[in-house]
Amino acid sequence: MKDISNKGALIPVKGGVRKTILEFAKSLLREGVFDGILISMRVPAKDSYAWVLIKDPSFIDKATPLAPIIAVQGAKALKSFTRKGKGSMKIAAVMRPCEIRATVELVKLNQIHLENITLISIDCPGALPMSYYIKNPEDGEKDFNDLFSGKDRTVSTRAVCQICDHFSILPSCDLHFGLTGEEGEGVFLIPNSEKGERILKEMKIKSSETLTDWKNSVKELIEERKKQRAERFQEVKSMVAGFDSMLDTFAKCIGCHNCQSACPICYCRLCYFDSAVSKQDSDFILQKARRRGGISFPVDRILFHVGRMSHMSLSCVSCGVCSDACPVSIPVADVFSYVADQTQGTFEYRSGEDIEEAIPVAQYQLEEVRGVEELIKQAEE
Amino acid sequence: MSIQIRIKKGVEQGLIDFLKFLLTNEKVSAVFTLRKTPKEGVYDYGLITDSEMLTDAVPLHPLMPVNAGQELSRFTPMKKPVAAVIKPCELRSFIELVKRAQGSMENFLLISYTCAGCFRFDVSLEDQGNKHLSDYWKAVERGENPEGIRETCTVCEYFVPINGDVTVKLIGEKFNDEAVLIFHTKKAEEMAEGFEGERSEVEQFSDKIGSLTEKRRSEKIKLFDRIGKEMKGLGGMIDVFGRCIKCHGCSRVCPICLCILCDFESSLFDYDVSQIEKELLRKGAMRLPTDTILYQIGRMNHMSFSCVGCGMCTEVCPANISVSAIFLRTGEETAKLFDYVPGRDIEEPVPVTVYKEDELSTLGEE
Repeated sequence: MKDISNKGALIPVKGGVRKTILEFAKSLLREGVFDGILISMRVPAKDSYAWVLIKDPSFIDKATPLAPIIAVQGAKALKSFTRKGKGSMKIAAVMRPCEIRATVELVKLNQIHLENITLISIDCPGALPMSYYIKNPEDGEKDFNDLFSGKDRTVSTRAVCQICDHFSILPSCDLHFGLTGEEGEGVFLIPNSEKGERILKEMKIKSSETLTDWKNSVKELIEERKKQRAERFQEVKSMVAGFDSMLDTFAKCIGCHNCQSACPICYCRLCYFDSAVSKQDSDFILQKARRRGGISFPVDRILFHVGRMSHMSLSCVSCGVCSDACPVSIPVADVFSYVADQTQGTFEYRSGEDIEEAIPVAQYQLEEVRGVEELIKQAEE
Repeated sequence: MSIQIRIKKGVEQGLIDFLKFLLTNEKVSAVFTLRKTPKEGVYDYGLITDSEMLTDAVPLHPLMPVNAGQELSRFTPMKKPVAAVIKPCELRSFIELVKRAQGSMENFLLISYTCAGCFRFDVSLEDQGNKHLSDYWKAVERGENPEGIRETCTVCEYFVPINGDVTVKLIGEKFNDEAVLIFHTKKAEEMAEGFEGERSEVEQFSDKIGSLTEKRRSEKIKLFDRIGKEMKGLGGMIDVFGRCIKCHGCSRVCPICLCILCDFESSLFDYDVSQIEKELLRKGAMRLPTDTILYQIGRMNHMSFSCVGCGMCTEVCPANISVSAIFLRTGEETAKLFDYVPGRDIEEPVPVTVYKEDELSTLGEE
């Protein structure tokens, strides 16, 4: 894995960090460095945010880099226009680190074509639960502004955001905005790839500022979050240990599959569990009911979660949209993050970090089934 | 000719006794009903074959975790007799699905009840100590709209089951002391043979049914007026549906949306990047993913005729959009033109499936 650059440019902040980022985005369009910028924007009713691809720089003023909520995962916005192939326009996407990680996974899964796309990330303070924001958008705005500016660090972000250790620069982004935490100090613009270096060159921005202090503060927070993550996972572990715990954790599930359709990684057009294959014959259902005296509907709800888990957990980026989308408040993201840490750990794989690293199931290593052979032999004896 | 059977027990117990009778006398192979789960405050639909397990049944509990009409249709045709206790709107959805060749009512004994509405998920999940539940039953007895029910339940005027085999009287009745079951069909009467209870001619429903219907009709006019104003024009649609995250949960839990793969999830809507780029050049800026409003209109177009206002779509919407009230309003307005009521009559074809030569003759004249 490549090293993160030690140098960045210090951009003076005028009218807030987000305004400064917008000005930069605008100049990227004006200078013709990009043909379009993908960025989030508050919807006209002001009760949510949407992804907008902007060509005309005058629209940039209405945008908001880093929305208070993740209504639609950014990777899904990128997928929606490059699923069938690369574009001819040069596009920059301004997203959260978890959205960039999901993008990287979707590139590996052949759902996003990244050739003409540049990924720009921002240090992320977390996102608010969508239901909380939609109930009272103005409170949500205030809370998030306080959080973003560092005025109030106690604002409750989503559960997975509170234990996120990938909130800053990633090896997979091209350019990154590093926040210094305090208003007026400026914001670091850090090139992190050849694409990133080229942009700064075209914009005639020199990255001569040393990043040691910023890097140290990021590192400190990562360590803290890692601890919190481990603590939280101790609790989550008991929620999924064995079938009975799973049953209890997902008892409220109504089988709507919102978690799957909101998930950036679950890219199947038609989920197996929604397909005709999973429709069961009445005799079979009655037979199953007789075995236990009764059967619960919709059928196979636990199987759905376990199935989804086995399909996508290697690529899970803990973005939390599944929890936001759950109508019965199951902590889906906590459970999936925990399981993802285990499965990814098994293969020493970190989702969304290195675009060159293949997803473990996509590559076969001769040694990896040796253990299984042993087990079979033992069983035969 | 219908008959009624009065059982001198609380209504839920009386109904459970009847279900037990059906199961132990092998008149049915299984009973489909709401039941308590081992997790406190959580309920699900169960298909029960062991009569002992009926102790956990709460057939009249005011919750709809899934639309039972959708669930029943999924595993039909049923080859053995099954009794199912479902809400009037679930029964109507089932009928709409059968009309669309998505299921069969054969072998079902369909039991429904005069339904005062069901709780929203958030209300049900936060109902510590069953405070809402006890208030609910008081309101049912008084024939009023209970607190905490779904928006479309508060304006539902089809809460007396049409079409079922058995109706349980609830609204405006003394259901704490007695259970009154009406048997509408010959099949139902035959099944009830040997079941203990006081048999008589069917007595009228409580007057409170009429007053609640009136109340709900006037509430509906108000609700539809409000929605009509909010939704006016494209601007209104953008305001209302702008926060849609395109999870399409509404279509998956909708009993009428029967497509295995929605058009809007199919490759029809995978645009070539060049199409998006062209659109971007034309507009200067565009929302991604595209077609947020088109999806809503498209779905409305496809299913609102048959919308029974069950409210599942609103319940699962992560963006808190009043999907059900919006779709019900459109559905009722269009169905009215064809004098159609979804789920009223299994013989009544869905208007879009029958073409009448003169039906377009006035188009454009107004």
